[in-house]
Amino acid sequence: MATNDSTTNVKRLQVRRYKPEENPETHYLNQEKGLWAWLTTVDHKKIGLMYLGSIAFFFFIGGVLALLLRTELLTPARSFMDADVYNQVFTLHGAIMIFFFLIPAGPAVLGNFILPLQLGAKDVAFPRLNLASFYIYVIGALFTLFAIVTGGVDTGWTFYTPYSATTGGNVMAMTLGIFILGFSSILTGLNFIVTIHKMRAPGITWNKLPLNMWGLYATSIIQILATPVLAITLLLLTMERALGIGIFDPALGGDPVLYQHFFWFYSHPAVYIMIVPGFGIISEVISTFSRKIIFGYWAIALSSLAIAFIGFLVWGHHMFTAGQSSLANMVFSFLTFLVGIPTGIKIFNWLATMYRGSIDMKTPMVYAMVFLFLFTIGGFTGIMLGALSVDIHLHDTYYVVAHFHYVMMGGMVMAFLAGLHYWWPKMFGKMYSEFWAKVSLALLFVGFNMTFLPQFVMGSQGMPRRYFNYIDQFQSFHQFSTIGAYIMGVAFLLMAGYMLHSLLRGKPASSNPWGSRALEWQTASPPDLHNFHHTPVVINGPYDYHKPMSEFQLGIATSHNGHHAGEAVDVSKTEKEQA
Amino acid sequence: MSGHHISSAKFLWGVAIALFILTFITVAVTWIHIPSPWNVVVAIAIAVVKALIVSAFFMNLYWDSKFNVLLFVMSVAFFLLMIGITLLDTLYRTDPIPSF
Amino acid sequence: MSQTSSTEEKLDHLKHYFVDSDQQFEASKMGMWVFLVTEILFFGGLFVAYIVYRSWYPELYLLASEELDTFWGAVNTAVLIGSSLTVAMAIRSAQLNQIKGLIINLWITIGLACTFMVIKYFEYSEKFAKGILPGSAYSYDGVEHEKANIFFSIYYMMTGLHGIHVLIGIGLMIWLVFKAKKKVFHSGYYTPVEITGLYWHLVDVIWIFLFPLLYLID
Ligand code: HEM
Ligand SMILES: [Cu+2]
Repeated sequence: MATNDSTTNVKRLQVRRYKPEENPETHYLNQEKGLWAWLTTVDHKKIGLMYLGSIAFFFFIGGVLALLLRTELLTPARSFMDADVYNQVFTLHGAIMIFFFLIPAGPAVLGNFILPLQLGAKDVAFPRLNLASFYIYVIGALFTLFAIVTGGVDTGWTFYTPYSATTGGNVMAMTLGIFILGFSSILTGLNFIVTIHKMRAPGITWNKLPLNMWGLYATSIIQILATPVLAITLLLLTMERALGIGIFDPALGGDPVLYQHFFWFYSHPAVYIMIVPGFGIISEVISTFSRKIIFGYWAIALSSLAIAFIGFLVWGHHMFTAGQSSLANMVFSFLTFLVGIPTGIKIFNWLATMYRGSIDMKTPMVYAMVFLFLFTIGGFTGIMLGALSVDIHLHDTYYVVAHFHYVMMGGMVMAFLAGLHYWWPKMFGKMYSEFWAKVSLALLFVGFNMTFLPQFVMGSQGMPRRYFNYIDQFQSFHQFSTIGAYIMGVAFLLMAGYMLHSLLRGKPASSNPWGSRALEWQTASPPDLHNFHHTPVVINGPYDYHKPMSEFQLGIATSHNGHHAGEAVDVSKTEKEQA
Repeated sequence: MSGHHISSAKFLWGVAIALFILTFITVAVTWIHIPSPWNVVVAIAIAVVKALIVSAFFMNLYWDSKFNVLLFVMSVAFFLLMIGITLLDTLYRTDPIPSF
Repeated sequence: MSQTSSTEEKLDHLKHYFVDSDQQFEASKMGMWVFLVTEILFFGGLFVAYIVYRSWYPELYLLASEELDTFWGAVNTAVLIGSSLTVAMAIRSAQLNQIKGLIINLWITIGLACTFMVIKYFEYSEKFAKGILPGSAYSYDGVEHEKANIFFSIYYMMTGLHGIHVLIGIGLMIWLVFKAKKKVFHSGYYTPVEITGLYWHLVDVIWIFLFPLLYLID
């Protein structure tokens, strides 16, 4: 009977194997019915899907805007847009892609769906806050749409003062929208931190936490530490426009460079909000499809935290030419190089995981490899930009544009797509066409490099960013780039096609189509509304491919899921980490 | 678990009285005109002590889990980082506010 | 949903995705602390602006803070500390199952918070009357410094945002009173009281810094 071994603090639990149900009749997608049930759901999986729908919408809008920009750039002079319109279009493209697509893509979409599953929890710690965060996102989005229809915004996604304090258009609605959006991001981060700390299933100690969880944990920390600073920045900017408080406006005695400090204190860490969840996804995918224990578990886990931390020290590399003191320039340049270290550690550990693994080139794995290739290019060019003397030349040229598209699109978008394809069967219980997925991926890869590789060359030859016209010398580069963008457009349409097909006609997926050992695969596809019918118990690491599958499907044997202390718990081989 | 610490009423009153006294001191020191920059140092030091008292004994951090303490420390540390690094720029510019 | 437990414990509050009351309580408290982190960094931005401008124009701060009334600032500091004490007492009452004490302490706290706002109101209106308005509406010429407007912008942003937090706190505590009257809280469940208390103490801590930084520059 109840053996609470007080000397070793080990609680003994009786466990048994729970084989996941195959193709269940009822699951989270059909347990609650009707639109209202969807809109008011507190289920983390459904909220994740609602976010997925929203960011897909914004990705579409942002993508169309990008194609418009690229089309305008087919000819050196005006093709079909005026300079003013062009400015508005690139502002919207940037703001939408960053704030409405890429920042929620990692945590709010895939994180929401997967995090409680990987922890063996029934939900996140605060499900209602989670739903609130979604609606806050929607309200923020409405503000932005309102800004677009009432005059547009032409400041660039960075809203630099003094221009943003004086230009026409509806900058206030836009900044308020993003201010509101920030709360959505904060709530997600808050929820995740508490959930990871408090809701892990018995046996999931910190060293058995899937690396995806470490990635999301690091991301959440950045979200809660950096986002409030964005909020105050945008609030001050709004006040600058509304009342003329003058803190950032030189015409009123303020300092525009201070605005840049504020903005980048958030926005450099924010690039890690975008990419670090990707690191988590890539770790899962690479280990699963290499059928091998991950190489350097702690190195990968801690380097995520290290990146989160160092990411706060480097913001001034965006301000090398803005008039900050040369002392600050040197310090920031030096600190920027440090970011390369943990990033490099990750890349090498992933490569080492693949080394001599039995690699299965399924779509998610190919995406992960594309990620490794493109992200490395993006990272290296980032280091080059971090070198002071080089950046003086390259700042505000297409070289920077190419750099951040390699990290954000080549890095995070590829990682996101890897994750989406990886967890798609779990989300919907359907498989997609492997063939069409690979065709689309190939197009994407070719299109991506065609679009952005020439931009490195253009940039280093002096083509400035954010102009709607250019000198003839660059025309062939621009045209090449535009054709690449069209190819990417086709690739995404194709992707939408086969995903839709999968939803409607896809072959049913098994509970664990990739043979993964991670916890989210040890329940039905799609899972039950409460994720597991039992309380999972974990005794192995998530990447222990040398151990039999049966050891990964354990759960508490008593019928009442171990709720409420004082229940009879019997001896078994399982130990529970003391709470 | 340390989550449910119950302080005695006497203790809570003691904490509040300490805070009142510190408030009085921080006002009183302005009457004796300590030369700058020490006046600022004293004012901040007293405020820090007061904040520590509130967080430790009113917010119960003294008895709370280490992680909650860490959160608090981290937020202050990152604030210091933000101001510290920003000052590296603003204090060492040739021209405080670049003219445009 | 949660199973009926064999003990006498009241468990209506326990959400089904938590294992027990303690887990739920600890999670909520940690959540509040994480939120407080964001609050500290949110105000942190304003403190950065404050410090940067103070390091550039120390004489501006000396001159401009003359316009702020140290006496009323000190009174408000005392009022907030008093309210911190009463929230702490409210939590204590809840822990001891003294629902009446809880409600009384909450009312006193609300009263003190309102006192704070009333004093702030008089401070603001006195300044508005002189032409010390926020932003470009600033029209006072009693401060001999070309950047006087910036000092007062910072002043209004800091105290204004702090004031909004006080108002939110008042709202939260009124809500707590209603809940307490409905007998929702008892010694086994008083999480909302506890975390509102944490929030309120932080509002106090921020004022503890605002007071010397704005009023006590001599
Ligand atoms: C090895 C890591 C990285 C380093 C050293 C690095 C360095 C830099 C530097 C120095 C700049 C400024 C260039 C300039 O404006 O002159 C820059 C710009 C940028 N980087 Fe990175 N970066 C890194 C990773 C990333 C990642 C992971 C992302 C996003 C996921 C990212 C997104 C951006 C963006 C969006 C900009 C342009 C901002 C703008 O002015 O609009 N970077 N990077
Ligand atoms: Cu950066």
